[in-house]
Amino acid sequence: MRFSTLVLKNLVRQRVRTLLTILGIGVGITTVVALGAITGGLKAMASDLMRVGGADFMVAQKGASDLSFSTVSEAEERAVRETPGVEQTLGVLLHYSRVGSNPFFVTFGVRAEELRASPPALVEGRLLAAGAPREALLGSDASTRLAATVGGTVTIEETDFRVVGIYRTGSVAEDGGAYAPLDTVQRLARKRDAVTAVYVTAEPGADAAALAGRIEEENPELTSVSTLGDYGDVDQGMKFLDAGNVAISVLAVLLGGIGVMNTMIMSVFERTREIGILRAVGWSGRRIVRMVLGESLLLCLVAGVLGLGLGWLAAQAVAQIPSVESFLRPEFSSELVLRALLVAVGVALAGAAYPAVRAVRLLPVEALRHE
Amino acid sequence: MSRPPAIKVAGVEKSFDAGRIRALRGMDLDVGEREFVALTGPSGCGKSTLLHLIAALDQPDAGTIEVGGHELSTRRDLNHYRARHVGLVFQLHNLLPSLSAAENVQVPMFEGGRSAHERRGRADELLALVGLERRHRNRPAELSGGERQRVAIARALANDPPILLADEPTGSLDSKAGAQILELLESLRERRGLTLLIVSHDERIAARADRIVRMLDGRKVGEDLRTFPRTPSVRPPMSPRAEETTIGGDRQGGFR
Repeated sequence: MRFSTLVLKNLVRQRVRTLLTILGIGVGITTVVALGAITGGLKAMASDLMRVGGADFMVAQKGASDLSFSTVSEAEERAVRETPGVEQTLGVLLHYSRVGSNPFFVTFGVRAEELRASPPALVEGRLLAAGAPREALLGSDASTRLAATVGGTVTIEETDFRVVGIYRTGSVAEDGGAYAPLDTVQRLARKRDAVTAVYVTAEPGADAAALAGRIEEENPELTSVSTLGDYGDVDQGMKFLDAGNVAISVLAVLLGGIGVMNTMIMSVFERTREIGILRAVGWSGRRIVRMVLGESLLLCLVAGVLGLGLGWLAAQAVAQIPSVESFLRPEFSSELVLRALLVAVGVALAGAAYPAVRAVRLLPVEALRHE
Repeated sequence: MSRPPAIKVAGVEKSFDAGRIRALRGMDLDVGEREFVALTGPSGCGKSTLLHLIAALDQPDAGTIEVGGHELSTRRDLNHYRARHVGLVFQLHNLLPSLSAAENVQVPMFEGGRSAHERRGRADELLALVGLERRHRNRPAELSGGERQRVAIARALANDPPILLADEPTGSLDSKAGAQILELLESLRERRGLTLLIVSHDERIAARADRIVRMLDGRKVGEDLRTFPRTPSVRPPMSPRAEETTIGGDRQGGFR
């Protein structure tokens, strides 16, 4: 018999309790995983928005509560464009509106000539023509959902656009939205002479970070965003999302930890006499601790794997909701899997610590007298 | 130079319930190597308490206990002592219910540095020694009382200890099973050269012991020595003469 066999048998003998505990912790880890995958998907979308047109970084209004509230004036945009070291810029006005079943359809208002310098990959049709206010390039996902093809029409806030091309970039937000002429989108968004952000591509060989710093220095009202960490500077929503994610995860883990502690305390208490027997036949306190922690770890690792599976299913289910599927693609990273397993191990160690200490502190003779 | 006794208990005191219950009051006892000593006395006289102290399951309030020439209170490795130096058999077998007979026997071996393969082989060997080679997969609930006690004896011998301590090993068994366990203990003692200290009310055990130590109210009140040692290898610690049949006791003559 291996030590692990003994640990397993101790858990199997209380099947119902073990299963309920696994389920309890599993639900907690499901929450961590599902929230993590959804948050990861939203962050991926944010990350995509930072790199529209393959830019090195994005410049937006400093301190905006949400990226869609960012306003960069044409004068500021021009100042950015004229900064030494900038090869090209793409001023984009992001406009969110309900189109079809998608409540967060993103229309990227761009100048046709700027888009031509860094165009999205066309699947069909052509790019926007200069001076054609009612043309639109449609993302491949939007094209599928709206059943709109080249030559067809897409209506955004009661304005009809003729679809002249279909593109695919791999970005959920871009592929689920459309590119349209900046002037028209400014009118739809009621934002005259302004864009949401300017996407900057540095000259070959130029230091993009130094360039971003120079732009910030020369334009105190603007901030550059090149990493997800910077994104919070222009979108407080991401910070709230992260905070909410952490709070719910901590709560889920705490509840899971209490469940494990309850199970392990019950288990140790019920087996007080057995622990006395183990001490009587020479088991060290360290081995008793290993046994209790081993049971808890096994319990939590099984719950961790279960939580990973259920979390994946839950996030996929959320992503299937019609109003969500167009802007959210859950992200399951190796970091998320590692986090879930670390949470499981953390819950196991925290939940088993007190029962293990209690088991070791028992005098063998007292434990043997326990009925 | 004479060898030290296997077990030497001197002036041991033990109280419970904040001193209200005095279980042992200056208890003295020497047990020689390979000697078979029966510890008898009425319930509550301190027999089991003394056995627990010798097994290092508890600590005395005063006095000393030496086992194999080493005083227990100075040992830092009491787990090692319990695992390797003494085997313990309880009245109610105390087997782990979720484990098979063979797995129960393997439990003490986790502290013995044996591999899983070695543990399995040794458990099979010990179960064969106690006559349970065909029952190694059965759980305690599937065994008779006598069989459970045999498994408990096999477990006590798992790490080959020189001393076997037994607390009423036949107390929960019918007379036939009790007699078989007693025979097994005697046989093991002879074949493996064990020192045997048994707490018992069972007259049959007392009748087969090399020496009977009688206790009352936490003290030794008498000793009966066998007229002729049952095994020539026995080395009683008090250089007894065969004629010294009774020391401070009321029992006359030898046994069997």
